[in-house]
Amino acid sequence: MIKHRFFINRIDSIEEWLESYRRKGYRLADVKVSTGRHEFVKTEGKDTVPKVRVDYRVFKKQEDFEDYLSLFEDCGWRHIGGTRTNGLQYFEQAAPFASDEIFSDSISKAKRYKRISYMWLHLSVMYIPMAVVLHTSGAFDFTKLWHLKELYYTPGLWNMEGMHFWRAFLFETPFAAMRGFGGLLFLLLILLGAWFGVRSLFWYLKERKNCN
Amino acid sequence: MNLSQYLPLTETTYFILLALLKPGHGYYVMQKVEELSGGKVRIAAGTMYGAIENLLKQKWIESVPSNDKRRKVYQITILGKEVLNLETARLRDLIRIAESCGLQAEGSSHD
Repeated sequence: MIKHRFFINRIDSIEEWLESYRRKGYRLADVKVSTGRHEFVKTEGKDTVPKVRVDYRVFKKQEDFEDYLSLFEDCGWRHIGGTRTNGLQYFEQAAPFASDEIFSDSISKAKRYKRISYMWLHLSVMYIPMAVVLHTSGAFDFTKLWHLKELYYTPGLWNMEGMHFWRAFLFETPFAAMRGFGGLLFLLLILLGAWFGVRSLFWYLKERKNCN
Repeated sequence: MNLSQYLPLTETTYFILLALLKPGHGYYVMQKVEELSGGKVRIAAGTMYGAIENLLKQKWIESVPSNDKRRKVYQITILGKEVLNLETARLRDLIRIAESCGLQAEGSSHD
């Protein structure tokens, strides 16, 4: 059985969602974090279905990632999903000596959201200089959206005919689209990044508050 | 640098620093902490990894070369030892004060 659940979801809700399938006797067999694809397999009896827990971490170096995975493996938690760079790390409780949870205090658990928040805010801020460059080059001139013809720069394009016209027109369309909508796209990315970042920061602060 | 601003240490931090007086990887630290605390302090993998990362950032522990290709081995630094000594002195002081107020350790009798 294949279900989708995306990484923009709150981790606690992903864990609860996985738990609901576990209770029905479904074992998580495979996860693709980048597409949110979760593959479940029906098993016999719910007692045999292992628990799954999710952490959030990205790693600059492969050796750091290996060290991290080794620590979890040593503790009886098998890595079943997530890559070095895509953040969500899925672990399955694989040994009888494994701890009940992957976090032993609530502050370290809350810090998952702090890391997610920083990732989104970082992404958002990274796009700002690019947006400024685009702005100064006139990409944010929204009035052009009402004059689509002006987005095409090929000299004499609108006087061409037949195949000649279509070839030149189609060739330039991606560039024209970038000129017209590129600015909007950047603005959207910045706002989305900021929104997801603030949302995660709020979750973090809320969980932290519950700790004290 | 005034190290006493970092005190008091959390129980987890105190035990990890104690465990890393001898070099060891993450799982060794977890087992050592459990052993030292008589099973009272059990650190889970995610919490352990975050704690190590934090202590590395503060330069209280450092990664040392080892034969293990997959696992990093850590050891307490001179700075870390200073912090550990300060915290131990603080705790000793507290106990001394408590005793001067007539409080005795559980199970021990006054002579």
